Amino acid sequence: MDKIICLGKNYSDHIAEMKEAAPEMPVLFLKPASVFKEIKNQGTITLPWERGLIHHECEVVFKLYKKNIIGLGLGLDLTLRDLQKELKTKGHPWEISKVFKNSAICTPIQGVRDFLNWQETPFILKVNGEIRQESKLSNALLKPNDIIHYVDKFFPICDGDLIFTGTPAGVGPLNPNDVIEMRFGPIETTFQLVRENG
Amino acid sequence: MDKRQISHDILNILERLRIMHDLIRDQNYEDIPKEELMNDLNESLALLKTRFDSLAQ
Repeated sequence: MDKIICLGKNYSDHIAEMKEAAPEMPVLFLKPASVFKEIKNQGTITLPWERGLIHHECEVVFKLYKKNIIGLGLGLDLTLRDLQKELKTKGHPWEISKVFKNSAICTPIQGVRDFLNWQETPFILKVNGEIRQESKLSNALLKPNDIIHYVDKFFPICDGDLIFTGTPAGVGPLNPNDVIEMRFGPIETTFQLVRENG
Repeated sequence: MDKRQISHDILNILERLRIMHDLIRDQNYEDIPKEELMNDLNESLALLKTRFDSLAQ
């Protein structure tokens, strides 16, 4: 994988909950492959809790080959929210709030044909058994092909790149020992967030 | 072409081969037709050889 391409502000309900103005088009940013973490069922993940509030953003993930979607996953685009707010207020770039170890978590990628009508398939994030985020890709502002065309205008797309397609409403804080459940069609992954020493 | 660029190219080709492996293993030709995929495979293998030759020089 060369990079992870992320969309921000691609769901109107998330834009509303953040009390931000809707942009003409979604925001684009990158995460490097080095912060990617594929999470297997029953796995654990460490995060930099000492750096402040970490928010989850649950998103459908595309895997690309020749600018085609050849696989789907469910991802967590993690954000150091307080730091991001501070950087935005100062008018600074906010990469350091988005790019840190394990900040792009994704379930194993499944082939598109493993889904029935994947754009209408609900994706769900539960934290400690409580549903935090639930939506479907058809609720997004940009449709899948439009997302790829839009990204292609700005970034060279490499085979194997991932696109995190934006998050719906319900983003919120994570804590050590939280149990995370992610469901999207045939994908069902449960894992736990832990401190560095386990 | 410098060694770093050659190395980057090789890793990209290997990633492409891994994706092609998965698609062929799963007989998944819906998005990329089989013929196109096999052509890509031959091109990628040839390119991989030339890039490795360059890296070894």
